[in-house]
Amino acid sequence: MRAALGARRRRFGDRFGEPLLIALLLALVLAVAALPMARLLLEGFLPGGSADLAVARRVLSAPVTWRAAGNSLALSAGATLVALAIGTPAALLVALTDLRGKAALVFCFLLPMMIPAQIATIAWIALVGPGSALLKALDLAPPPGTGNPLYSSLGIMLVMGVEHSAVVFLTLRAGARSLPGDAIEAAEVAGASRAALFARIILPLLTPSLAAGCVLAFVSSLGNFGVPALLGIPAGIITLPTLIYQRLAGFGPAVLSDVAVLSLLTGAIAGSGLALQSWILSRRSVRPVRVGARPHPLALGGWRLPAELACWSLLAIILLLPLLALVATSLVRAYGLPLNSDTMTFAQYRTVFGFDATARAFRNSLLLAGGAALLLGFASVPFGYVLAWRGSRLLRLAALLAELPYALPGLVVAIAAILTFLKPLPLLGISIYGTLWIIFVAYVARFFSLALRPVLAAYASLNRSLEEAAEIAGAGLFDRLRRVILPLIAPVAVAGGLLVFLTALNELTVSILLWSSGRETLGVIVYSLQEGGSAPLAASVSVLAILVILALMLAASALARRLPAGTLPWQA
Amino acid sequence: MMKPITTALACLALLAFVSSAEAASGKLTLYTSMLEADANHTVQAFEKANPGVTMSWTRGGSTEILNRLRAEYAAGGAQADVVLLADALSLEALKADHRLMPDPDAPVGSLAKALYDPDLTYFGTKIITTGIAYNTGAPMKPASWKDLLKPEAKGRVTLPSPLYSGAASLFLAAMKAQPGFGLDYFEKLKANGAVATKANGAVLTAVAGGEKLYGIIVDYMPLREALKGAPVAFAFPVEGVSTITEPVAILSGTKNAEAAKAFVSFVLSRAGQELALEEGFYPADSSLGPPKGFPSLKGVKLLGFDGAKALKDVQSNNMAFADLFGG
Repeated sequence: MRAALGARRRRFGDRFGEPLLIALLLALVLAVAALPMARLLLEGFLPGGSADLAVARRVLSAPVTWRAAGNSLALSAGATLVALAIGTPAALLVALTDLRGKAALVFCFLLPMMIPAQIATIAWIALVGPGSALLKALDLAPPPGTGNPLYSSLGIMLVMGVEHSAVVFLTLRAGARSLPGDAIEAAEVAGASRAALFARIILPLLTPSLAAGCVLAFVSSLGNFGVPALLGIPAGIITLPTLIYQRLAGFGPAVLSDVAVLSLLTGAIAGSGLALQSWILSRRSVRPVRVGARPHPLALGGWRLPAELACWSLLAIILLLPLLALVATSLVRAYGLPLNSDTMTFAQYRTVFGFDATARAFRNSLLLAGGAALLLGFASVPFGYVLAWRGSRLLRLAALLAELPYALPGLVVAIAAILTFLKPLPLLGISIYGTLWIIFVAYVARFFSLALRPVLAAYASLNRSLEEAAEIAGAGLFDRLRRVILPLIAPVAVAGGLLVFLTALNELTVSILLWSSGRETLGVIVYSLQEGGSAPLAASVSVLAILVILALMLAASALARRLPAGTLPWQA
Repeated sequence: MMKPITTALACLALLAFVSSAEAASGKLTLYTSMLEADANHTVQAFEKANPGVTMSWTRGGSTEILNRLRAEYAAGGAQADVVLLADALSLEALKADHRLMPDPDAPVGSLAKALYDPDLTYFGTKIITTGIAYNTGAPMKPASWKDLLKPEAKGRVTLPSPLYSGAASLFLAAMKAQPGFGLDYFEKLKANGAVATKANGAVLTAVAGGEKLYGIIVDYMPLREALKGAPVAFAFPVEGVSTITEPVAILSGTKNAEAAKAFVSFVLSRAGQELALEEGFYPADSSLGPPKGFPSLKGVKLLGFDGAKALKDVQSNNMAFADLFGG
């Protein structure tokens, strides 16, 4: 009886399993990515259903559009330079030399990516400027009226550059670790100087990683909302994301067509950046051939200690000092006072815990991030299977579409979601606008590729013979997925889910445009507390959020022994 | 002779409120421009007085909330039952769209006529003036709106944007109507290096932190922070101040009119007004106040303007401001 049942299930799996999986994958990609993007394009060129370029023409001829676009380009370029300046030397030192304490260095250099932009910005504001509780306590604060130098183009570039230095670090470190060790050794044996080795061998081989890091930092900066909102709006510097936010907040759904055009413009700029990257990659003349083992670490000799000191001092400036200032601000009675025994209070933390809204924001963000992580973590295993091992043109297109919401700035995803889901859903007759579901859908779209990428990489490195053996032995698709593939892929899927969780937990750019009453996210609550004039309260929520992030990262590291190397980005 | 009668009426209204409060129950959602702490405080006090009602709230700038409501109406209906926004203009906008439900039972006995809508759709709960906050380390103590145009203030002034703040929207309308000021005043501010932030809270942070020395802002924020020892002070400019009344109103789409009415009655009741006083606001009930540490409003001049014209001009005023200050 049981055997018969098993056989029936196997037949079902064989006949319908794969088409079913593929249909599910296509349906998901269609619902969360393809349809909203198509709707956005439609709104830009066919507002109200008829071909009408009046809106597009009006928006594209408004001076403010081009001022914002110009600012966005200039600020993102500046931030990319800052990110390169921090990320490149750090990645090369950590990946190629015999520096000590690499695990801790990698963890710290990747932290800016895990600490969300709005929190990092609040910390920087708390560090620099005449209102800094920390500087005031040390009697180092500039006199009132000097202004905070961060509220400027340079300030935005610096903070955004630090924020995205982790992306450059990550990409370049991965590139450096896959350098052909033999080539480096051969050059060393041939007597090449360090400078020649670097200029003639390492740098040319790293060009693709460098280009990729550049474009990633640029596109992330372009879509960044937290930094230009907190630093740019008070200085009158407007970028595309803040312009879109201001227009929606100030004029409501009446300007939805206008912001659709603006977000298409943002998407087009990001898209040309990504296209430039693939053009560079296709043009490079040197193709690294992975021969032999990883390069052995270069001995720094007498330069080792200075290099280590330089790394740690840089981290102290870009990480430790802002965080200390954040803690100081969270402990002060009123903003503008120095932190001392008189003014120190835990009242802010008590207030935070007493707020319905903060507790709710923590709950909402945990639900959204947890839900997205679970769904994407689980789904990535079967979807990765069909994408990696059952390649067809349709599936490759689906994979590309799934990448789109992650590659493009978050505001594009958010505006597309509003356009698609504002009106009640057909058939069901209910609108998910104003519920957590619209944020959830946008998160699933945005973070799909974050979960899928590591799983696809794992499939690519997996030997298929085991699965084929199981197939020959008569195991159906679902049996093979469950008994053969899942045990091999599960750790990577868990890690992918964890990345989704960490990224979604403090997400702001998407949720600031999609939140509604009772559906605030953690990012939204921190931003609105800071903007509402409750800087110390915003600081205390931020401190709590950072503690949650650190705890999760450390917990994941404890799990790291069971993961394939390179699954967690901060793994040494 | 009138006074005892109004008091008696107020008592009657209070009695009516107490009896209706017993009936109120279920869920209630508030959209408000009050600060988080004040919103939390008010809601908790209301829930304590009406144990059957569970109330949730969302905070945002008044203009922001209006547009959120517009989006929700487009999506099929508002999620809020009651609103408590900064200024009467915002409420007039909702009223013009037929989104407000009149509440003939609201206890308006203690309110001056100017504080509530004659059609009884919205009711002022407080009196909040917009004046000038300055950092106590500033070299100049501003006494006039024109002081912000002086060279000493160059590049050191910040003001809230009417795109977010109802108080700023009303201030803009009031100044526009003043002879000798008008929209010109804002152009001169801009020329003197003033920058627009989001709402009043950002102005407070900038002035208390010393990033800017002078800020156009609602009274209670700097006055309250000054009580906590923050280096800020507040001035009522000699030409006068604009005022907002933080009106409360019931949205006509509410699913819980009983509880919504109980909320309106609560914030207008003696207990509700004393709560506002305790939080650090000038209450709408003129027999109470001023709050601890706040100067008396007697002798403070008010900037008058034509409300109907202001309502008509809101969108064009905001656009003009946005073009000028880039926000």
